[in-house]
Amino acid sequence: MPAAAPVLDVTREDRRVAALAALGVVIHLAEAGLPSPLPGLKPGLANVVVLAALALHGWRAAAWVSLLRVLAGSLLAGTFLTPTFVLSLSGALAALAALGLVGLLPGRGPGPVGAAVAASLAHMGGQFAVAYALFLPHPALLHLLPVLMSFALAAGVLTGLVALAALRGLERRGLHPLRGPLEADRV
Amino acid sequence: MPAAWTAADGLLLALGLALVGALWAVEPGDRGPASLALVRAADGRTLELPLDRDARVEVSGPLGASLLEIRHGRVRFLDSPCPQKRCVRAGWLDRPGEAAACLPNGVTVEVVALGRRYDAINF
Repeated sequence: MPAAAPVLDVTREDRRVAALAALGVVIHLAEAGLPSPLPGLKPGLANVVVLAALALHGWRAAAWVSLLRVLAGSLLAGTFLTPTFVLSLSGALAALAALGLVGLLPGRGPGPVGAAVAASLAHMGGQFAVAYALFLPHPALLHLLPVLMSFALAAGVLTGLVALAALRGLERRGLHPLRGPLEADRV
Repeated sequence: MPAAWTAADGLLLALGLALVGALWAVEPGDRGPASLALVRAADGRTLELPLDRDARVEVSGPLGASLLEIRHGRVRFLDSPCPQKRCVRAGWLDRPGEAAACLPNGVTVEVVALGRRYDAINF
């Protein structure tokens, strides 16, 4: 008689995180099809989902959604364990650290736009540091830094505004994603 | 997190703009002071001259003394006892890798960058 297969309890949080991560992956892959001025330079609209997770379910959920999106996105795009993946991961980790830090600000803390700006600048800065250290240790690369960080600032404002609109929309309907259609409680 | 604009948003936005503004003002990147002029004479002597300090150097060879000048982070042959003066006509060198040579007098000068040996690494 074979031993009973271990039964995993799938919690509500698991479902929330998984569904948000899946949404993030879809947005990420769709955005990857758009042209960009520099290879790999994207507005990062998938991060809207991370910001929403942060606002609705806290930093831990946002971290899960972000890292799952990086992992699953890289597997689907065929870039897992490539330098692209290393850069994506380091950017995501730096952004999460920034989100954790801005959450510690006194008072109400930042809204989605401020958090997105901080995370975006941290993301680009973290990626640049890793790219400089591991792949292109040439001082000439530093000439790119002002351009990249300007782009990151603009992208942060954009994703922050989209996240703000999304959160307001959710608030208006009294809904939160993936708690099921019958659960309309507010956080 | 409030679904709104807060004071912290303004602060973070201002900090972000300040950071980006500072980056544009500083314009990080490699510069002359990080480079050297590597001079080689006919008898095998080498001389490393920093490009951030203006100087004039005489390097002697079989034909006489070649005169090198360093100014504003660049180096050139100012004069040389060779008949064709091709070294002088090569003009100013300022980027790592650039070089000029006075072959009759056996004097060469090359701009060398300090720091890492590799320009890029590919997998």
